Amino acid sequence: MKSIMIDLDACNGCLTCTLACAAAHSRSGSIVGAMQEKTPARIFIEAVNGRAVPVTCRHCEEPACAEACMTGAMRKDSLTGLVSNEGHEQKCVGCWMCIMACPYGAVTAHPRERVALKCDGCPGLPQPACVAACPNRALRYEEPAFFAAGRSRDAACSAAQAS
Amino acid sequence: MSNCGNCERTGTCVSVHGSINEMQDRASAMGVDTVFDRYQLQQPQCGFGMQGICCQLCSHGPCRITPKAQYGICGAGADTIVARNLLRLAVHGAAAYSHHLEELARTIKATAAGKTPFSIGDEEKLRQIAGIIGLDAARPAAELADQLADVLLSELRKGSDEPLALVKLFAPKTRLEAWEKLNVIPGGVLSEIRDALTKTMSNIDTDPVDLLLTTIRLSIATGYMGLVGTVTAQDILLGTPALTRSEADLGVIDPACVNIVAHGHVPLMATAVIQAAKTPELVKLAREAGAAGIKVYGSMCTGQELMQRSAGSAAGFAGQLGNWIVQELYVATGAVDLVMLDMNCSIPGLKAAADRFHTRLVSVDRIVRMAGVEDHVDYEPEKAARQAEELVKMAVETYKKRGKDIHVPQAKSAAVAGFSVESILGALGGSLDPLLDAVKNGSIKGIAAVVGCTNNRNGHDVKSVTITRELIKRDVLVINAGCCSSATQAEGLMTPEAANDAGPGLKAVCQALGIPPALNFGSCVDIGRIGVAVTAIANALGVDPSALPVAASAPEYLEQKAVADGVFAVAFGLLTHLGPVPPVTGSPLVTSILTKDVEGLTGGRVMVEEDPVKAAEAIYAHIMEKRRGLGI
Amino acid sequence: MVRHLIIGNSAAGITAAEILRRLDGRAGITVVSDEAEPAYSRCLLPDFLAGRKTGADLRIRPADFYAGNRIDRVSGRVLRVDPRSRQVLLENGGCLDYDRLLIATGARSAFPPVPGLSGPNVTGLRTLADARKIVQLAGNVRRVLVVGAGFVGLETAYALYNRGLEVTVVEKMPQILPGQFDATAAGILQRDMHAEGMRIILGAGIKEVLTPSGFLNFFNKSAQGVLLDNGDRLKADLIVVAAGIRPNVELVQDTGISTGRGITVDQFMRTSVPGVYAAGDVAETEDVVTGRVGLTPIWPNAVSQGKTAAWNMAGQPRPCSGSLGMQNAVEFREIPSIAMGITQGGDPGLEVVTAGQPGQNVYRKLVLRDNVIVGMILVGDISGAGVIGALIRKHADVRKFKDDILRGRFNYGYMLAEMRNAG
Ligand SMILES: Cc1cc2nc3c(=O)[nH]c(=O)nc-3n(C[C@H](O)[C@H](O)[C@H](O)COP(=O)(O)OP(=O)(O)OC[C@H]3O[C@@H](n4cnc5c(N)ncnc54)[C@H](O)[C@@H]3O)c2cc1C
Ligand code: SF4
Repeated sequence: MKSIMIDLDACNGCLTCTLACAAAHSRSGSIVGAMQEKTPARIFIEAVNGRAVPVTCRHCEEPACAEACMTGAMRKDSLTGLVSNEGHEQKCVGCWMCIMACPYGAVTAHPRERVALKCDGCPGLPQPACVAACPNRALRYEEPAFFAAGRSRDAACSAAQAS
Repeated sequence: MSNCGNCERTGTCVSVHGSINEMQDRASAMGVDTVFDRYQLQQPQCGFGMQGICCQLCSHGPCRITPKAQYGICGAGADTIVARNLLRLAVHGAAAYSHHLEELARTIKATAAGKTPFSIGDEEKLRQIAGIIGLDAARPAAELADQLADVLLSELRKGSDEPLALVKLFAPKTRLEAWEKLNVIPGGVLSEIRDALTKTMSNIDTDPVDLLLTTIRLSIATGYMGLVGTVTAQDILLGTPALTRSEADLGVIDPACVNIVAHGHVPLMATAVIQAAKTPELVKLAREAGAAGIKVYGSMCTGQELMQRSAGSAAGFAGQLGNWIVQELYVATGAVDLVMLDMNCSIPGLKAAADRFHTRLVSVDRIVRMAGVEDHVDYEPEKAARQAEELVKMAVETYKKRGKDIHVPQAKSAAVAGFSVESILGALGGSLDPLLDAVKNGSIKGIAAVVGCTNNRNGHDVKSVTITRELIKRDVLVINAGCCSSATQAEGLMTPEAANDAGPGLKAVCQALGIPPALNFGSCVDIGRIGVAVTAIANALGVDPSALPVAASAPEYLEQKAVADGVFAVAFGLLTHLGPVPPVTGSPLVTSILTKDVEGLTGGRVMVEEDPVKAAEAIYAHIMEKRRGLGI
Repeated sequence: MVRHLIIGNSAAGITAAEILRRLDGRAGITVVSDEAEPAYSRCLLPDFLAGRKTGADLRIRPADFYAGNRIDRVSGRVLRVDPRSRQVLLENGGCLDYDRLLIATGARSAFPPVPGLSGPNVTGLRTLADARKIVQLAGNVRRVLVVGAGFVGLETAYALYNRGLEVTVVEKMPQILPGQFDATAAGILQRDMHAEGMRIILGAGIKEVLTPSGFLNFFNKSAQGVLLDNGDRLKADLIVVAAGIRPNVELVQDTGISTGRGITVDQFMRTSVPGVYAAGDVAETEDVVTGRVGLTPIWPNAVSQGKTAAWNMAGQPRPCSGSLGMQNAVEFREIPSIAMGITQGGDPGLEVVTAGQPGQNVYRKLVLRDNVIVGMILVGDISGAGVIGALIRKHADVRKFKDDILRGRFNYGYMLAEMRNAG
């Protein structure tokens, strides 16, 4: 299954991926529109001593967020492999157990609504919006093995699990 | 909070100064946001901007140079975009210095007409300079001063095709030859600014090399007018600095008094306020309000200007609070009643901090405006005396509203100030020879000007203090100016006792002369004074400045004036160290020209080194190489 | 074909059933429980009480879950487990055979030994039936007393308050949430609840529940209520007891399956008897932080233990990643908070560091031993809590990042950067 791979050296912290993510999840579908709607992004460019490091959901094999989810809203789709708390019969109530559980910090509280917010993998798009937008090719949507052949070091990072 | 990234302790560590860490703790407990907090919120910062390869000039933009897009929509590549952005930064610097000089020239004219609270502070210098620029030095002082001011104004305003007289008159011969070859001897500064701004519009000058040469040309104009010209005119008006003692750091604040802070770069209104604050009527007013008296403190470069003249026109100066980053934190003491904002460096965040307390912010320059600041007492030379009185009265009124929540850190340090070519000559008995001999015999290995702004990258004042300490340890005499002066002052490096921290050679010289190992040359404009000093040394030794064992360092450079200063230092022939990486690294061509190729043209070059210890080592190596070149 | 039998149709049981089906397409899987509903979330019972959710909204699996996964459901109460005959006996007289058995019977509300606590207007809140009872009673009452200011007690109080009832919470300890939060954090949350209008009495226990006639005897007035151990009396028409839980272990008594407070299991969720596993609130495991064996009665632990049990029941041995007992996320009004592990200092080997402005509802606390985090409290800003949780589980040395963690600046990027630097 393809997933979002991160090339740490290539990321320069321009935040374009966060804008593209917000645009893809906004009503308007555009970057400027998303900024006006204040649509939150679901990928984070974190700072480590001033250096930019992208952090986003890995759609884990055994997602800690889904295990912690007490409503059943957070679930891994057995076909697509995507982990999401949206679009299911069960609804997210914003109990924040997933925030407490995710070892990557990939789930956050929606800034205005009482629901947890996370990468939904952009189902329906050929590749996630963040990947498509990255001007530095720091984000790629690839089979982990393929990526590993190119950049073994960073693939190791991506594969490493915090838990 | 530590932002050097190599600290294992918990606890606030945003600054090299204990007082600042203490105040940052207080500010966070009170929910007052500071530069330090906002800096963290800005992390990480965009790499395109950091590398200078983002262009927003036209509505096709913003364009960025990326692995997939090597050119902007107009076809501009990284080299063009970076060089154009750099020139725009330098234009800002040149413009701001010109504003300062114009205010000064206006004040000199008004003073000559007897309409200001000032008098000519250094008549000897007036006559000397008047002579050099071809005026009849025998005329009465007032008349000469008026003529000199006219010359300065016309030099500022003349065309770019008329070479600046000050460059021709003050630059070392060898420099002039180098600059003539490059066609970078500038004309009138305002015309140069117009030309440079025009060139940086989209699709006018897109040749990166020409843009860089224009940056050099503009910076030379800045150096001789904005720096040397301003310092000289300021000395003539307010007096040439003389050695004096003062104090620095937040501990100087006296909560019992009505407290006024002079903040910015242009010391004119501040000098008038110091004088007004001494008048018995106003002191009485303050006492009636319940205060013990009125004190005027310095902040940033205005403070340094006052401190270095506190034996003369600024007598009564109550001490220096700190540099750029400190502004919100001295307000957070709760004991500052009024801050006068002159041009420049009054940050918008200051208003939010002031609103948390009773502190009144007043702009005292017609071009300084801040959202929410409604009090404007815009300096006008002819009205300065009355304006100063009004400011003091406002401070007394505000003092009455002062709250109970006051916290002033204990820390303060003694500081010697007032170094200038003249005062050094005075201390050396009228000749530079004792200093030159010390350099020649190696007790002093060389001289480094550690100057410029302060910056939160890597911790407030950490780099400037560290590099100064590392250099004096290696027997390199350090000259500080600008925000760096406030940094080393607060850490006690500007006391004769600090000689103990110097290497054996420098220590002996300092002890013999009773001077600190880090000399306070004053404000950032006083970088011009350093230029004058280096010129004097070069002339005394009969060599070009680029051959001297000297170097410049701006370990925490921040804003656009510093860009013009830095390029001037390179044009002047100096190795110029920068701490923060300037936004040019996106262009291999510009980077290579500034850090290597320019040396073949001007003798100077930029050296970027973020680690202050390594930077000190590299400066030392450069100095030793130059010594070998001179055979000493 | 292996026959798996699971007692309990909740977090642990349903997870085990689901994973067993994934691991073995052919095994027989039966889930028996004494609650008739399809699996639902107890954690949402307060939302049901508040009227925000219906019974159907509480379900944690899609409607076609049992059929789709070919899981047989049996409704009935298990009286006894008989490991020798590999059978369980039901209250209705029937019995079920198994090859492998998972006991996921959870727990029930514990009632302190207070006279009168068995009256008609007194209840716990553990099951949907309890919740329905409370809702039914709530229609006719004005004053509610909640016994215990732990997490369930406060959630209940808040839900009933939202129904428009007058709510008083009585707590023995001197602070709310005494199990998880320290006094500072509890103070912030309590101030928030006070602002809302809820009454909270601390440092007082219930001495006796007074029936209407008892109340008359004592105070010469006809009313229902309680007598506190400090002598005060409180009127209350409805009493909800939220004073802790008691694991449902009765069905294994005298079967050779060893128990403490709950059923003792190893890291593979095996009980002392071969073929019998236990998971969830009923199981006793070793806490990753304290190393002590005990109950870890929270939802995520029940799920992850159920998962581990399933792997091992399916013959694919895999240890549990370790349960962190004390952890909880709460947001009663609008201050999100999370506590994990050891949150009180005291012990001389522990280092405690705090940050934030409690006055502005922001507070962070780390408890460390030799630069390893053993507990934390986040109030106000809970982002990245799981990253710190991972550091706790991994016993990671955090000396380099201590301050960044404390100030809320730490993020997973630090770990990526470390891994990269390590090459
Ligand atoms: C009001 C409330 C709020 C809560 N909120 C949270 C929260 O926010 N976060 C959190 O982590 N945890 C919360 N919890 C705790 C959480 O609900 C439990 O940790 C979790 O439900 C445990 O799951 P379990 O599968 O082990 O047992 P249980 O959920 O207790 O389920 C036990 C199952 O076993 C069945 N059973 C029991 N005995 C028998 C028998 N003899 N025969 C047949 N069947 C039997 C029951 O019918 C039930 O299906 C809350 C609990 C309550 C009551
Ligand atoms: S949110 Fe976190 S735990 Fe859940 S799938 Fe993504 S990375 Fe894994």
